[in-house]
Amino acid sequence: MHFDHHVAVPDPAAGPEVYRQHARTWLRANLPGFMRTDSPDWRPATLAESSAWEAAMYQAGLAGMTWPKPYGGHGLTLREHLAVNKEIGALPMPESVSSIGKELAGPIIMAVGTEAQKQAFLPAILAMRQYWCQGFSEPDAGSDLARLRTRAVREGGHWRINGQKIWTSGAAKAHYCLLLTRTGTVADRHRGLLMFAVPMDTPGIRVAPIKSIDGKESFAEVFFDDVVVPDSARLGAPDEGWSAAIRVLSIERATNRMYRPWRFECELRQLIAACKSDARLAPALEDGGVQRRVGELASEIDGLKGLVELTVERMMRGEAIGARGSLTKLYWSECHQAFAGLALSLLSQVGPQSSPLARRARQACTNAYLFARAETIYAGTTEVQLDVIAQRIMNLPKDLT
Amino acid sequence: MSSDALQPEEFAQAAEAAIMDALTRQDVHDMAAVLARAGLCGVMAAEDDGGLGLDLRFALPIVHAAGRLRLPLPLAEQIVAAHALADTPQAAALASGERLAGIAWQGRLPDGWVRLDHGPADWVLAADAEGAALVDAAGSPREVQAALDPDCPQVWLDLRHAPVLARLDTSAWDALQRQARLLLAEFANGAAEGALQAAASYMATRVQFGRPLSAKQAVRHLLARMRLLQEVSSAAIRRAIRPDEYGAPRDPRPALAGAIANAAFVIEKAIHLHGGMGFTWELPLHRALRAVRRLDAAFGGLSRETGRAFIESV
Repeated sequence: MHFDHHVAVPDPAAGPEVYRQHARTWLRANLPGFMRTDSPDWRPATLAESSAWEAAMYQAGLAGMTWPKPYGGHGLTLREHLAVNKEIGALPMPESVSSIGKELAGPIIMAVGTEAQKQAFLPAILAMRQYWCQGFSEPDAGSDLARLRTRAVREGGHWRINGQKIWTSGAAKAHYCLLLTRTGTVADRHRGLLMFAVPMDTPGIRVAPIKSIDGKESFAEVFFDDVVVPDSARLGAPDEGWSAAIRVLSIERATNRMYRPWRFECELRQLIAACKSDARLAPALEDGGVQRRVGELASEIDGLKGLVELTVERMMRGEAIGARGSLTKLYWSECHQAFAGLALSLLSQVGPQSSPLARRARQACTNAYLFARAETIYAGTTEVQLDVIAQRIMNLPKDLT
Repeated sequence: MSSDALQPEEFAQAAEAAIMDALTRQDVHDMAAVLARAGLCGVMAAEDDGGLGLDLRFALPIVHAAGRLRLPLPLAEQIVAAHALADTPQAAALASGERLAGIAWQGRLPDGWVRLDHGPADWVLAADAEGAALVDAAGSPREVQAALDPDCPQVWLDLRHAPVLARLDTSAWDALQRQARLLLAEFANGAAEGALQAAASYMATRVQFGRPLSAKQAVRHLLARMRLLQEVSSAAIRRAIRPDEYGAPRDPRPALAGAIANAAFVIEKAIHLHGGMGFTWELPLHRALRAVRRLDAAFGGLSRETGRAFIESV
């Protein structure tokens, strides 16, 4: 694959619509045909191919939009970020292979890292030279990080780390782990939490892949046995670093992958196009019940677009969005599960005589249906989001005041 | 009036006060007069017709408050009709609250029977061969359907011989329907918000097993879901009001279908959360539910229509 690395990125002063048009033109001209998930020529991209594609997107001004220029970003606002995301969503392209770096590690390093850490990590994340994995969850600490056990003990200018992480996405390919540890004991609960940037080739780290229900080995258990890292690997001070990270995470929950509703719409169109392309599937589109389900999904997608755009508007006005990211997370995850359920049933009769589009859609939608099971679990389960909405948005009392 | 100096949100408080005042009146025309004096009926009507000449964004908080406070009048329809009929005597009569106008969403004038779901109204706008006509419905043959809402019944009207007062051409009728759909979506969303507020505050004070019911996870999670849907409706309506990226008006149907479905869910659950009290006539949540279900009937099959349009667009 070859991408032109000398792209004329428009001046953002020309407005988000000009930037959006640039994104639209560039993405459509450059996305390799085999990466289009709706194409009968689709095949899974290799890590190198995905990496090259994302690096080219970055060069074209379509990644790292809101990161500051000194760290390799484009120094733009959420407005351009949203404009670009609408176009990313409208094109059926693969998900980022570096989302932990771009959406989690990067923003946290930006908030709590030293200048040297920012210089070392941030440009490398955007240029796709470094992949990150997230070491937060543990077997005994899923939603409840107060039960975290992985321990970091200071030994002079170094830290010795022992413990185990689980559900670590992309651990096998990662260069660094954004690792959450504690300096004391479990009795300290939320006190003494400390983050590190741990190189994954440090002796004592063992990665054991976990096979997921979609047949992939995209996440893993990661064991830390007497892993020694220098103090320069520490991200922020104990407690301070983690509380800053929590603030970053609540913003990220509201702003990452803003393309989702536009992508869901694109997937719904892909489903309809696949049905129309096949003589045996097309009659289902005349069915009133199917039309109603499509209409309900279209309404939900519109609502989700509204939530995303409202978040950007509020943030651009300088308003705190607090826990509102929980509304978006809860809504998109259930909306996408509903879509995937409909897609699976509409495409259930696809067989050897079906159209290439229908065959491709069946493959993509079955995979989406299976993967969607994870969407109400990761990044805060549905139950956690409902708790957050009840507690922090609605302030529902648990006791009489 | 210039809209530069005024923000739509500032209208919310004034609208709420006027609607509360109107609700103390028994007669619907007395109610309308109170609303009109506060500028609510004519918020979008031309200044020459006695209106304020403001745009749709200013009508939004008004109909939201009407939904939340369960105003039993077709205020959204009144507002858009007074605007669309500019320069007619009817516009002035609507802006001043002297007459009430509703919209027949089911049926067309030439076909005979049409249905007014969200009344009461003296005058009815209904589709005819080209565009729509505003007719005087007094004296027309009618069948009242009081099963769903005995206080504000749905009415089938035979308007074939009703006096035509004014006409709207196709584009004016389309524009009016678009505005009315958006405002009625916000009316339903306001009704949902009122029900949610009532349920949340009741759950916070109703003690069982030594703690407020809002301490129970099943209750908290249900209230959180209700809040989510109400927020989604609100965001969808605000989005649908704005033109799309190419400056064209957005299709209001997905937002309306979503707002009605979400409001029905929220109000039904609010009734449920009130326990036995929720099933009493005294608690007014059933009035909100009836109003939203009348809108659901008015736009019957809207989700299917939205789905069909989406399928055709691919």
